[in-house]
Amino acid sequence: MGSVPTLELRDLRAGYSTKKGFVRAVDGVSFRLERGEFLGIAGESGCGKSTLAYAVMRLLRDNARIESGQVLFNGTDIAAMPEAGVNALRWTGMAMVFQSAMSALNPVLSVGEQLTDAVLAHRNATKAEAEAMAVEMLRLVDINPDRLRGYPHQLSGGMKQRVMIAMALILKPDLLIMDEPTTALDVVVQRSIIEKIDELRRALGFSVVFITHDLSLLVEISDSLAIMYAGKICEYGRSRALFDEPLHPYTEGLMGSFPTLTGPVVRMGGIEGRAPDLLSPPPGCRFAPRCARAFEGCGREDPALRDIGGGRLCACRLREPGREGGRR
Amino acid sequence: MIKDFFLTLVRNRKSLAGLCILAFFVFVAAFAPLLAPHPAKADRVVTTRLVKAETGDPETVAEGEASDVREVETYRVTTVREYEKTTDYFPLKAKPGKGHPLGTNHAGQDLFSQLVWGTRVSVSVGLATGLFVTLLSLTLALVAGYAGGILDDVISFFTNVFLVIPGLPLIIVIAAYVAMKGVLPIVLILGLTGWPYPTRLLRAQVLTLKNRDFVRVSRSLGERPSFVIFREILPNMISIVMAEFFASSMAAIMGEASLEFIGLGNVTVVSWGTILYWAQANGALLSGAWWWFLPPGLCIALLGTAFVLVNFGIDEISNPRLRKR
Amino acid sequence: MKYFLRKLGMLAFTLFVSISINFFIPRLMPGDPARALLDKMEGLPPEQIESVRAAFGLDTGDSLLVQYGKYLGNTLRGDLGVSFSRFPMPVTQVLRIAIPWTIGLLALCMVISFALGTAIGIAAAWKRETRLASFSVGFFSFIRSFPYFWLGLIFIYFFAFKLRLFPIGGAYAVTETRGSAAWWLSVLRHGTLPALTICVSSIGGWMLMMRNNMINVLAEDYITVALAKGLPLRRVKALYAAKNAILPSVTGFAMSLGFVVGGGLLTEMVFSYPGVGYMLYQAVNAKDYPLMQAIFLFIAAAVLVANFIADIAVMILDPRVRDGAA
Repeated sequence: MGSVPTLELRDLRAGYSTKKGFVRAVDGVSFRLERGEFLGIAGESGCGKSTLAYAVMRLLRDNARIESGQVLFNGTDIAAMPEAGVNALRWTGMAMVFQSAMSALNPVLSVGEQLTDAVLAHRNATKAEAEAMAVEMLRLVDINPDRLRGYPHQLSGGMKQRVMIAMALILKPDLLIMDEPTTALDVVVQRSIIEKIDELRRALGFSVVFITHDLSLLVEISDSLAIMYAGKICEYGRSRALFDEPLHPYTEGLMGSFPTLTGPVVRMGGIEGRAPDLLSPPPGCRFAPRCARAFEGCGREDPALRDIGGGRLCACRLREPGREGGRR
Repeated sequence: MIKDFFLTLVRNRKSLAGLCILAFFVFVAAFAPLLAPHPAKADRVVTTRLVKAETGDPETVAEGEASDVREVETYRVTTVREYEKTTDYFPLKAKPGKGHPLGTNHAGQDLFSQLVWGTRVSVSVGLATGLFVTLLSLTLALVAGYAGGILDDVISFFTNVFLVIPGLPLIIVIAAYVAMKGVLPIVLILGLTGWPYPTRLLRAQVLTLKNRDFVRVSRSLGERPSFVIFREILPNMISIVMAEFFASSMAAIMGEASLEFIGLGNVTVVSWGTILYWAQANGALLSGAWWWFLPPGLCIALLGTAFVLVNFGIDEISNPRLRKR
Repeated sequence: MKYFLRKLGMLAFTLFVSISINFFIPRLMPGDPARALLDKMEGLPPEQIESVRAAFGLDTGDSLLVQYGKYLGNTLRGDLGVSFSRFPMPVTQVLRIAIPWTIGLLALCMVISFALGTAIGIAAAWKRETRLASFSVGFFSFIRSFPYFWLGLIFIYFFAFKLRLFPIGGAYAVTETRGSAAWWLSVLRHGTLPALTICVSSIGGWMLMMRNNMINVLAEDYITVALAKGLPLRRVKALYAAKNAILPSVTGFAMSLGFVVGGGLLTEMVFSYPGVGYMLYQAVNAKDYPLMQAIFLFIAAAVLVANFIADIAVMILDPRVRDGAA
């Protein structure tokens, strides 16, 4: 590729200190995100996706922290960077759109104030200039600039989310992390939001990390997909390829868990069982207890994320070269 | 569920401390007769001892023959018992010393005994009022919250009205008119003025629970209202009801002490508040008799702190954000 | 606007209820003290009987409803009767002497303790893990359980009696000429201990409430967003956290107003501070019912108005309330 990737994670480990020990919600995650690329991260609740997002943004507080590993933003490691340096990058280099816009907007400040204070904190702009930028962003997300003086409670759920997107993009960051931004919205609104993000990405050229538990959303708009389970990435690849041919049993299970609108009526799969307790994860492959195709080797050694070829990564013993079902 | 609640309460350090203090005072209140050296109002110790007991010889008073075969004799035996009754009057307004660890008051009554006996009154009035207010406000809250509609509107409206009317002045005005016989009037007055705040709090909780899915399911299944209230809603309100109980009890103890301090309570009953009343009335402060007014107030403060601690514990149980991490 | 009118209406209605309480209490008490009082007054000067009439709206001939109407009329006209203990001074005149002292003392104390308590609460929540924060929570909880009057007694004992730093009671030195600089100085000196008592007792409540609110607010998502935006911490603390946390405090302020006023009354009694509270104490002892009731009415009205002001403050601070959404 040649250019510096916008984001590169190297064996990142992060989690929460509790009375009973350290819960490693992110356990050795690595990937590369190129400029302008759209990466989707999918996984069920509790797999560590949100912790990952917060770790990248250096937002882990209280008893949560980054344990080890590197987070390279435009080539510079920010995982151990002092607070002042990270603060300069916040919102200017990377921004985040949060899950529930309902509670992510300050109820006692006007929409305009919340849009402009980020500008005024990082740039030497005048209030008027900041407001002009805010107006421009609102227009980009199809919200009437009259809303500038209004308050969050006067907006609908979808509008609030769009305000959040406008707020995140106001300083034209290189990286936009979206943590389940459409979960609380209905499907029609979800669609419009996703399309808007895609449109903006093409216009402004930022990279996106889109986190969700709903695989169906990602398949169409993302360039690459990473499937996360129990703190680790178990499969990675180009979206279309992954969708057409899922390699990891977990991915297969996820794919079989949502119905298609077209095609024959199929018996729904679903995945039995529950995610492991990250306080003391089982030895060996973490998905083995729930895997229909597990064999006795699975419980012994935790399979590493292996390059299977064609840009596909998979952490499953089944796909190891030499095994049947493995690829060349 | 109630058992679980108490278990968690005991495990929390703050509420455990509070419960211990509370247990201590309840213990003192219950065993007052054994713990207090003298009756509350005793200003003297009377000891009677037998000095001399003499039985005289029998003296024949009369004798005679009633018939051939019967003799009747009347005789008298005189017994003399001599007693020595010693009355030790307690000194008036004495400093703490031998026999009186906290000294005596203006009437010579032992202050330590009064403190112990007073614990009974203060603790029982406090807890009784707390119970009364909690039951009253819980009933109102359940009716208003569950029934909704006009009943709710009326109850809420009057709750809001009486909520803002200041409590102490109202209590004073009412108490000024009432002849205080025993402590029941105080309980009633405090209870009837203290209900608005808990009612509002509990009603809000009832409403929140009523709209939760598990209650809705119950109702749509056609369960009787009494079932929904007592088996679904109430058990989930335990922590807040207990918190309210302790808060109301604390307020009652303060209110009772305040009333008695002003002189509006029953000054013939011995409680922490009346001890303070008599202390003030007899210029204890100005004569430097700290042993008179310090202990009762300290007891009130300690008991109040106990309630606050327990409530802290309850808060932390129901709102995990407040817990230590 | 609707919010404003609704609160205004509540104010008016509650005032009405307070006035009615004043009317009905003497009549509802067992033994009908009002009537008993009137009987006791046989043979007293006619003016005093008149004062009872005005205070209770008692007129042996009229029905209850008519009495009530007359009483309401009198009250609204400002005629609250004549004081028994300070005969023949009308009650309103007696009140006027005491009101400035109470308002001065209480207003000052409430502002100080609310401001300080809130500030400490914010700090205690923001820096939760520190020892100082945990200590202050325990400390203020303990202080809060002290009965107001007892704290006053302790202060008198230590600072006035033992250390002789401050006077034992009263509001000013009678030896100084009123209005002179020395007189004002003595006012400050005399007011220190009562003010200290009220402030220390009530600060704990504000502090704990604000700390609770802040902790809850700090867990909200918009705080994380503010931090993610890289905003200066001062702005996050003030406009994102504190501004939201203070809303329940303001409402709580209104509700605990009655409580603080009660404490202020007790403090005045202990310090013989010639405000409304001490006057109430004297009135109770002298069985001066008209004065007692007038004081109750005044206090109730003052608290209600203060409540109303707090409601307006909430309206200004919280845009959701302005739009009727809350």
